[in-house]
Amino acid sequence: MSKSRLFLGILIGVAAGLLYGWLLHPVELVDTTPDSLQENYRMDYVLMVADAYSLDGDLQEALVRLAALGPQPPDQIVITAINYGIDHDYNQTDLESLNTLIIQLRSLPDAPEIQGP
Amino acid sequence: MKRSDLLSLLGGLLLGLAAGVFYSWGINPLAYSETTPDSLRERYRQDYYLLTALSYLKNGDLDRAEERLESFQSENLPADLSRQAQTSLADDRPVIEARALAQLAAALSDPQSIVSAAVTATPTPSPEPTEPLPPTVTPSPAATRAPTSTPGAPYELIAQRDICDPELPAPLLQLYVRDANGDPIPGVEALVFWDGGTDHFFTGLKPELGLDYGDFAMTPGVLYQLELVDGQYPITGLSSGTCMDDTGQSYSGSVELLFQQPTP
Repeated sequence: MSKSRLFLGILIGVAAGLLYGWLLHPVELVDTTPDSLQENYRMDYVLMVADAYSLDGDLQEALVRLAALGPQPPDQIVITAINYGIDHDYNQTDLESLNTLIIQLRSLPDAPEIQGP
Repeated sequence: MKRSDLLSLLGGLLLGLAAGVFYSWGINPLAYSETTPDSLRERYRQDYYLLTALSYLKNGDLDRAEERLESFQSENLPADLSRQAQTSLADDRPVIEARALAQLAAALSDPQSIVSAAVTATPTPSPEPTEPLPPTVTPSPAATRAPTSTPGAPYELIAQRDICDPELPAPLLQLYVRDANGDPIPGVEALVFWDGGTDHFFTGLKPELGLDYGDFAMTPGVLYQLELVDGQYPITGLSSGTCMDDTGQSYSGSVELLFQQPTP
């Protein structure tokens, strides 16, 4: 009888622990990296990188910034952002910024591998 | 219920609770995805601020910049941006970064007085596109904040005076830059030269003192030359004078310079 009570207690405890840990007091989302951002923020981040590149012309800096978005090749990240921009009615200036960046990325001899965060 | 049953139930409950919390926090916490910028690590938060500022510098769209920054729960975003601009200068980052941060800080502090921030920049010439431009979408109108400055007009020194202010912690080269209408212009870069050294600073990095204000700490006895990046000519022979306080003690004074764009 005691064993069944113990088992029942464990079950209730696990359920309560999960409820507490996942719903009532989940792990706080702090100290995250850009690769965990929602898609709209990720795509906007790429656009900002493209805008920054159009100002400073620093392709290496742009590569480092794009690497923060994950392990995908940088040109793929920008292509995804272009497609997202088309779907979400980005204005022509924004699309041109992204296009300028993708052109420069594709002009690189070999896509360098940059570690993500 | 017997006492032993109750103890077993309680013991199991505690064990289960510990296991559940351990699993949900340690083994399988909520996935770090679908986050918003306010959760970014400090380093990436600063990157986000900087990218927002650079994008603002490029397109002059303050509404968009505000949207990008709205998820951050900062009590004083302009001050944060100003601090980051000063850190950027101290770290010898590219000048355009400090300028962008200062412009955005100033714009957020006082949107009504801001000049058009948009700049035209051309990076390395592009080769022929390797991919056609995406289908054209309807261009959005550009940001419409009426510029109050006279683009391209060099700044002129309107006034220069020695300042005796015992409240100042150090003798300062205090700079004010205004447009032809007398409105403040943030983000103006000033170069300072002295025997054996050079430095630079921007207006607008201390919005609480005015968007047109910038300063540089002088060393008493040293002669300085100040030149605005878009100024007409350098101002030479600047130095800290000697002042007297109420008790007759001497201290080093400051110099105030007011630059303005000429009326077109």
